[in-house]
Amino acid sequence: MSALPPENSWIAFLANSSDLAAALPTWLLAALGLVFIYGAIILPSGAIMSYLDRKLSADFQARVGPNRAGPAGMLQPLADLLKLLQKEASSAEWNWREALWLGVHTMALYSTVAVIPLSSSALLVNTDMSAFLPLWAALVLALGTMLLGFSQGSVPGWFGGVRVAAQALAGAFPALIAVICAGIHAGEFRWSTLAGAQTASPLTWTALCDPFQFIAFVVFVLGGLVMLAVPPMDAALSTQDIHGGVSSHLFGRRLSLFRLGRFYGFFLWSVIAVVIFLGAWTLPFGLAELLREQGRLWLVLALEVGWLLAKTFVLMLLVISFARVSPRGRVDQVTDFSWKVLSPFALLALIGTALWSGWGYLP
Amino acid sequence: MRGSVFSAIREYLQDVYRRFQSIWGSLITAVPYLWGVGEQRKEVTEQYPDPVSSRTADDLPARSRGLLVNDIDRCTGCKECEKICPVQCIRVDTEAGADQSKLWVARFDIDYSKCVFCGLCVEVCHPQSLVHSKKFEGSVYELKDLVASFGRGFVTAEQRAKWAAMRQQAENDEVFP
Repeated sequence: MSALPPENSWIAFLANSSDLAAALPTWLLAALGLVFIYGAIILPSGAIMSYLDRKLSADFQARVGPNRAGPAGMLQPLADLLKLLQKEASSAEWNWREALWLGVHTMALYSTVAVIPLSSSALLVNTDMSAFLPLWAALVLALGTMLLGFSQGSVPGWFGGVRVAAQALAGAFPALIAVICAGIHAGEFRWSTLAGAQTASPLTWTALCDPFQFIAFVVFVLGGLVMLAVPPMDAALSTQDIHGGVSSHLFGRRLSLFRLGRFYGFFLWSVIAVVIFLGAWTLPFGLAELLREQGRLWLVLALEVGWLLAKTFVLMLLVISFARVSPRGRVDQVTDFSWKVLSPFALLALIGTALWSGWGYLP
Repeated sequence: MRGSVFSAIREYLQDVYRRFQSIWGSLITAVPYLWGVGEQRKEVTEQYPDPVSSRTADDLPARSRGLLVNDIDRCTGCKECEKICPVQCIRVDTEAGADQSKLWVARFDIDYSKCVFCGLCVEVCHPQSLVHSKKFEGSVYELKDLVASFGRGFVTAEQRAKWAAMRQQAENDEVFP
């Protein structure tokens, strides 16, 4: 942990904020910070996005959508969570293998909370390779999910597990190449450098600064959908294709944990796409510098996180509308798409962006 | 160029382009639905029971399958409905009555907690006494209240003996007029 640049880490930020925080050990501050990020940012985002998702798909299908719990049905995600939490187990037998692999799956997933870049002063792991950490975590996640499926001893579990692994492998390659494209533009894979290569103006965003980067951006988002089996690429986990696949035997608390994890993967991927391709947290009109000069660091933090989340939600809503208007691909079509369409375009973007960035340096 | 590697690449690119065009087309198509523009894109959901819909049970289609009713005066007690019911929700008890042409239906119970409203019983009902009503609001507080009874009730031993005598009398009248 000594390799952390203290000026960027939110631990230093927290430690400097009060005497009490300064007196606490670093590991405790880090743990509390992660719990806070999970409880105050990720869970509410999940509630908001699940509500918007359901309202949006209801609109597309000329239905009403959730409208009973709270004003305009806004508390429906909370009601669903409470319902799932109090459900009884369908069998008295304790499947310890399922619990174990669900644990591995969940740990692989939430290990990335420490990596998630939320603002210029809310970075914990900010090394020169930090942009790759979510990719490795996603591969471990696929392993955990696959073995979670195998542990259930059911046909949907077996097939779902194999399909999740196939999709993760297929999606990882183009996504990796797309990350490298962004790194070529920024010069490094540090979150702060990737974000710092872009300003508030959309024309300087990595995705829009040259046509190859735009291809890389699209490939990154679609590769993430394939990798994490997010709709409409969720043939490995959908109820209609495979009885829920890996989650077919999960219920109650375990199902809510799994569902939350699925949302979190999608959310994390969108946050990263925004950070490395869509201008990150940089506030418009030089607002951040202005407020920093006035010493309002907490306001800067809140505004940057809010701005990043706003962009993330827009991206997620676009992906959700794409999912709601398109038929779900079969699992072989999804992996085919990833290997035969995303990968060639990712390589094209890599070559193009390398030439574009290196043009001035070429003899 | 046909059949060469260039035409293969061209077809591949055209294919990719067409897919993205199709997705873009469906996204554009979906946009007016967000605001429910036009008659076709309005919400079709009938809000029920809150607020109570302006429609009544009479607005339901002619062949809608509501709660079952049995006209016990026409019922012959043939038990065809009981036999065909896939969930055994109909229970019929009959005995010989005063009239030789039909049975006395002592019990005709339909358990709506089991009924799946398949309508098979209505189809097989020969005297067409068992029909679907348009009533569909059947919620009650006790499960036993979901049993609808259409039977005429069980009879006493004296009544049974009296009917037997009446039938015997009628038979005698027929044989020896």
